[in-house]
Amino acid sequence: MTELRVRERNVSMAISDAIALEMERDERIVVLGEDVGRMGGVFGTTRRLQELYGDKRVRDTPISELGFTGMGVGLAMAGYRPMVELMFVDFIGVNLEQVYNAMAKNHFMSGGNVRMPMVLKTAGGCIGSAAQHSQTLWGLFAHLPGMRVVVPSSPYAAKGLMASALESDDPVVYIEHKGLLLLRGADFAHGSQVPDERFTIEIGRAAVVREGADVTIATLGANVRDSLLAADELANEGIDVEVIDLQSVVPLDADTVAESAARTRRLLVVDEDYLSFGLSAELIVRVLDRVGLSGLDRVERHALPDVPVPAAVTLEKAVVPNAGSIADAVRRLG
Amino acid sequence: LTSLTDHFRLMARMRAFERCCLEGVPTREIHGEVHLGIGQEAIAAGMAGLLRDDDAIVSTHRNHLHAIVKGVPLRPLLAEIFERESGLCRGRGGHMHIFDPAHNFSCTGIVGSSLAVAAGYAYAAWLEGTDAVAVGISGEGGTNAGAFHEVMVMAGAWRLPLVVLVENNRYAISVPIDRVTATETIAERAPVYGAQGVCVDGTDPEAVAEAFGQAVERARRGEGPSIVEATCYRFQGHYEGDTDHYRPKAEKTSAYEARDPLMIARRTLSERGADAAELDRIVDDAEAEMAALLAEVRADPLPTADGALEYVFAEATP
Repeated sequence: MTELRVRERNVSMAISDAIALEMERDERIVVLGEDVGRMGGVFGTTRRLQELYGDKRVRDTPISELGFTGMGVGLAMAGYRPMVELMFVDFIGVNLEQVYNAMAKNHFMSGGNVRMPMVLKTAGGCIGSAAQHSQTLWGLFAHLPGMRVVVPSSPYAAKGLMASALESDDPVVYIEHKGLLLLRGADFAHGSQVPDERFTIEIGRAAVVREGADVTIATLGANVRDSLLAADELANEGIDVEVIDLQSVVPLDADTVAESAARTRRLLVVDEDYLSFGLSAELIVRVLDRVGLSGLDRVERHALPDVPVPAAVTLEKAVVPNAGSIADAVRRLG
Repeated sequence: LTSLTDHFRLMARMRAFERCCLEGVPTREIHGEVHLGIGQEAIAAGMAGLLRDDDAIVSTHRNHLHAIVKGVPLRPLLAEIFERESGLCRGRGGHMHIFDPAHNFSCTGIVGSSLAVAAGYAYAAWLEGTDAVAVGISGEGGTNAGAFHEVMVMAGAWRLPLVVLVENNRYAISVPIDRVTATETIAERAPVYGAQGVCVDGTDPEAVAEAFGQAVERARRGEGPSIVEATCYRFQGHYEGDTDHYRPKAEKTSAYEARDPLMIARRTLSERGADAAELDRIVDDAEAEMAALLAEVRADPLPTADGALEYVFAEATP
């Protein structure tokens, strides 16, 4: 195998590079969304695509999310591979109907006769924008059957998962983290070196991003980077933390987490999504299914405690998992 | 060109098909909701001969007649409605979720959601530069959903080859259209979107065919979307089992007499010199055809429980 040429990229560039490579490879890929064309995306994740592939394949839409998401459904049924961008995942209330009743169900409802190769690309996560622009909501999509749900944690993951999403024959919800989109490549301790060439990351495989013997942290999105920072701090205190980047919520790679937790016997699930009825409890149950009730000594979760994200920075810090709060949660594990 | 006799034959087959579905209700062979188009046959029949296989229809919860006119094979269509493994969707969809990709036919059970999907097919034809068109069907009630506006905005702005066919049977379940909208027609909304709008008598297949045909040709020429509104009366309840106390009895009785597209077509054909015995034979043949179909479908097995978790995803999970 030849060495891939790698260089430092930020998440936004990694995503736009991935989409461009896929659009070059497959002319059935069409991008619809607000500000995806002339502007290249509010976070730059679709930069230059309209210039490269024209304004029919990269279409600036009116603020008609329900309408253009439904158009994505029709395009997929007509043989295209639409990528529909919902600017912020918090806006899902306006287009959820087409997402969960059509995109997610058409393959099933047709008895497998209709393929739905569609990507819903959206930005989630906390950047100080309060209750309506800070949610992650991956648990919501994961709860509804029929969608793959991927959450990249680094420039490398962002590129590989985007390629996989765009070549999948199933609908994929791709949730990029706004906090990560605003970072430089150099800000990442993991995954900042990105091959120029196309590569894929299999959807449904977690990645061990830091090996450790004492505690397993399973997390995703921006909390992967936060957990690595916490792990560095905890290493000074003699606590050796293993950090697992789940990468996808559906399918959920509980095997990798269970294998790690069976070794460390301490599991902390860190989730920027709401605490209750979500990923953290689901993952813990699946791990216990695998290792048995006596397979772990401590199990904890650290997630957004069922409160909308507040505006004031002091309040936000109090509820959204961050490097400091993750380190504290590990210390509480004992 | 489709003659009125052909329309009559097609409408007779459509009604016989719907009556077969009716038979599955008391027996619980159709064990959930079913929405029938009895009384609305002229609208579907009016599309006959005007669409190609590469044109798409995206229909509604009341979709059987649209599937028939699009060429969806009747055997797997009825089998799907009767929840059989031999159905178009292996019994996973049921009557509100008919998918026939070979004929570019699909529908949705969510009122107001069909038009956006149809616009996606229209976008695909526009991208490819073909002269295929997409037909999005809605009841008049569905045109009050926000998606109607969103779709018309985009279709008008980009001159998509979209025909919005509105079956105006006057009632959104129980709510009369004139109680919730200010305008006389739905079609008159068209100009603000840069679309063409026309309202026709939806009990007259020839009138529907003329208006619908013009809209399809306009879309094929790349001149953009149209709204074709066809007025009619729903003879059955919204669904089978609907107590339907919200429509006055006198109104229903008079509609059955004055607004039945089959009776109207029969009268017109007689005036044009058609032989009554020939028209009877057309109806008898239609009923015999559908009775035979129903007997076949009833012999088909239901899906077995071991397949209940299949088809959620196309690709295997690692």
